[in-house]
Amino acid sequence: MRGRAMITAAVALAGLAMAACGGPAPAGPDDGVLTLAAPRDLVAGPQDPYYTHQTLRVWEPLVTVDQRLRPVPALATSWTGADGGRRWTFTLREGVRFSDGTPLTAEAVVANVRRLLRLAPRQSPFFSLDAGMELAYGRLSDVRAEGGKVTFELERPVADLPGRLAGFFSMVQSPRAFTPAGDFAGGPVGTGPYVLTGWVKGQRAELAANPHFHGAAPAYKKVVVKVIPDANARVAALRAGEVDGLIDKGALLPGQVAAVGGGGHTVVRTPSVLTHYLTFNASRKPFADPRLREAVDLAVDRRTIAGTLLAGTARPGAGFLSPVFGDLAEPSVAPAHDPARARALVEAAGRPAEPVTILVSSGETGQFPYTDIAEVLRAAFARVGLPAKVRVAEATKAVMEAGDYDLFLSAYSVPNGDPDYLLRRFLRSDAAWNTERRLGYRSEEFDTLVDRAAAEADPVRRRELYHRVQRLLAADRPMIPLAYQDNPIVTSDRIGGVEQNVAYIVDLAKLTPLR
Amino acid sequence: MRWLLRRAAETVLVLLALSVLVFSLAALTPGDPAEEILRRGGLQPTPAAVAALRAELGLDRPLPAQYAGWLLDVVRGDLGRSYADRSPVGAEIMARVPATLRLAGAAALVAVGLALTVSLWAALRPRGAVGRVVAVVTVAVAGVPPYIVGILLISVVAVGLRALPTGGDGAPEAVVLPALTLGLAGAATLLRLLRADLAQAVGQPFVKLAAAKGLPARRAVVVHALRLAAPNAIAATGVVLADLAAGAVVVETLFAWPGIGQLAVSAIRQRDLPVVQAYVLLTGLATVLLLALADLCLTAADPRVRRR
Repeated sequence: MRGRAMITAAVALAGLAMAACGGPAPAGPDDGVLTLAAPRDLVAGPQDPYYTHQTLRVWEPLVTVDQRLRPVPALATSWTGADGGRRWTFTLREGVRFSDGTPLTAEAVVANVRRLLRLAPRQSPFFSLDAGMELAYGRLSDVRAEGGKVTFELERPVADLPGRLAGFFSMVQSPRAFTPAGDFAGGPVGTGPYVLTGWVKGQRAELAANPHFHGAAPAYKKVVVKVIPDANARVAALRAGEVDGLIDKGALLPGQVAAVGGGGHTVVRTPSVLTHYLTFNASRKPFADPRLREAVDLAVDRRTIAGTLLAGTARPGAGFLSPVFGDLAEPSVAPAHDPARARALVEAAGRPAEPVTILVSSGETGQFPYTDIAEVLRAAFARVGLPAKVRVAEATKAVMEAGDYDLFLSAYSVPNGDPDYLLRRFLRSDAAWNTERRLGYRSEEFDTLVDRAAAEADPVRRRELYHRVQRLLAADRPMIPLAYQDNPIVTSDRIGGVEQNVAYIVDLAKLTPLR
Repeated sequence: MRWLLRRAAETVLVLLALSVLVFSLAALTPGDPAEEILRRGGLQPTPAAVAALRAELGLDRPLPAQYAGWLLDVVRGDLGRSYADRSPVGAEIMARVPATLRLAGAAALVAVGLALTVSLWAALRPRGAVGRVVAVVTVAVAGVPPYIVGILLISVVAVGLRALPTGGDGAPEAVVLPALTLGLAGAATLLRLLRADLAQAVGQPFVKLAAAKGLPARRAVVVHALRLAAPNAIAATGVVLADLAAGAVVVETLFAWPGIGQLAVSAIRQRDLPVVQAYVLLTGLATVLLLALADLCLTAADPRVRRR
């Protein structure tokens, strides 16, 4: 009988699955605990300038952005610019305490600014600190606390310091949270509705309500944010009821949106700061010829790309700054889809001897259907007499620096509320992107307009300058916007109050259990 | 003893070759790590910043010097720092090894257990339908890539029946689906070998003699025939176990299992070369050692190998 027993035991072992089938079902969402999943770890740890992503609401910034990328109050209730944008003063919210019980003071804010300056340059998966923090403060000559207010003195005028500071760059945590070197001594100590109570790197973050929070206490006392990098695994966890929602940048692939809606889940689609662009290599033939760049612009069917290929998660691109920039976006730029005129332009300019190369980064094909889009572009170009081929490369930087491409399909976003970031870092004549990647865009008019706009304190004149910049770009075409990307997220129907801002931040404190 | 020494020397040579391969993986990959690191936070780095970081990382030294330095560090247990967050790679990998071992162990149990059970079952009942059906099903499943098997298991068992978690390493039962997915392919390989060898062994005169002398059929098969049929399967087990490490990359990603396979995939996506390097080095090392171990087991089970 020994053999039979052995065989029975082995069968039982191999049938582990069957044995576990009768086990308890995974716990459903309960009112006290909210379980979410994100594609990446929203905690970066004690070596990071911020420790956690702003989404976790452990810390708050002075200023944040709204749906239109405008700076709106967070820890600062108001601000004033003076001296043509050389001095900015922020008034702090009263009665705010850090999660360790100590009060928020202007001195604490100043200590945070000085800490970031001391750390820079420092990389972060969320938002790196550039050398000297010029991206944040321009040229900062002094920052000080005066009568409960914080004043920034700048060497050169900055038109919109609140916009530049919005989010990470104006993070405030208790100065006691930091070592003298600027790293975190223990966990993060912020003023937000939640405190970080647990973190398993690359797996999960656990939050609990902050008893010292200055606003209304959040409905969910505990929040768990799991890290599930694989898009299919995330959706499976959602469908199996293991998580109540998927949040953060790229929570859902465009192709998944239709499949997860309904059946107890609601997809929330809000515009994001991400835009898909087509970048030209105008430093060599054939796109050194502006007629061929225009031909490409006319040949592209933006509606198909946004509506079909990106499954309606994007809107057709037009002006260089997307509608999330609010009134800074130039509404009069409206590219036409006109293959006949494109064909005429190609004929006039002369058909290139070699097919043009559409370059795509293999890293981006996982998040957006870039190989499909590139293929559709290739077909559209072929129809107007412009032969093309698609190249998917691992290290696009090396390919671009060698000048070995004609068109580059890629997505970019602005990290704060500042349009100057995109224009200055990508297209100014001395921008690293422009020069090293062989864009070949040289325009004194553009450089002057960008510099003037960045220092223009009057909002109306500044807006007019940015509109002129965009009209210029629509005519010069160094990069053309293909589509403005939404960031779809999904939550269970049992959760109310789901809102996402343009920087992918969902206010966890506003989520409420329904029924 | 001489045989053991020779085997050990061979293993060391293989490991050295492995280290050269792993190092060149990083050295020959296009793209500049310094630039990668600086770009990670969404900023366009200045050329001066890139040059400074290249010097700090030692990337400006000639390749042989970089290799020597790297190998010395590895031998000392220092696997470098992650590009993503500058944390020590060794600690990161070690933190995830237990999860992978748990998964691989459970999968090995599935593979070996299933292969042994079904082949013995079939050997005892040569004309039985159940053994044949199970064998055919197992081999058919092995023809389907683990990715598809995993998706099927998730959608039927986890999403449809809600009987088991879709993944993660939270609950003890969470290991079942990934272990099944990972173990089934290995089970089929072993099963095919063991079944054929066992069928042959059962037909040997000494097994028949044992039966004729009154030994119960079960004992004749399980003790005597199995020993004769084992060598091929033992050799294959080494390969199957090594394959588990490779398969773990797909399965861990699919099941959000926090092991080194998942770490490797996200490192590849982020172009975090030190982590990828460490992963390849570790799995390579595990493979070499597993195969050496299988050789040792084979020697113990089959005296003819020693004489060769």
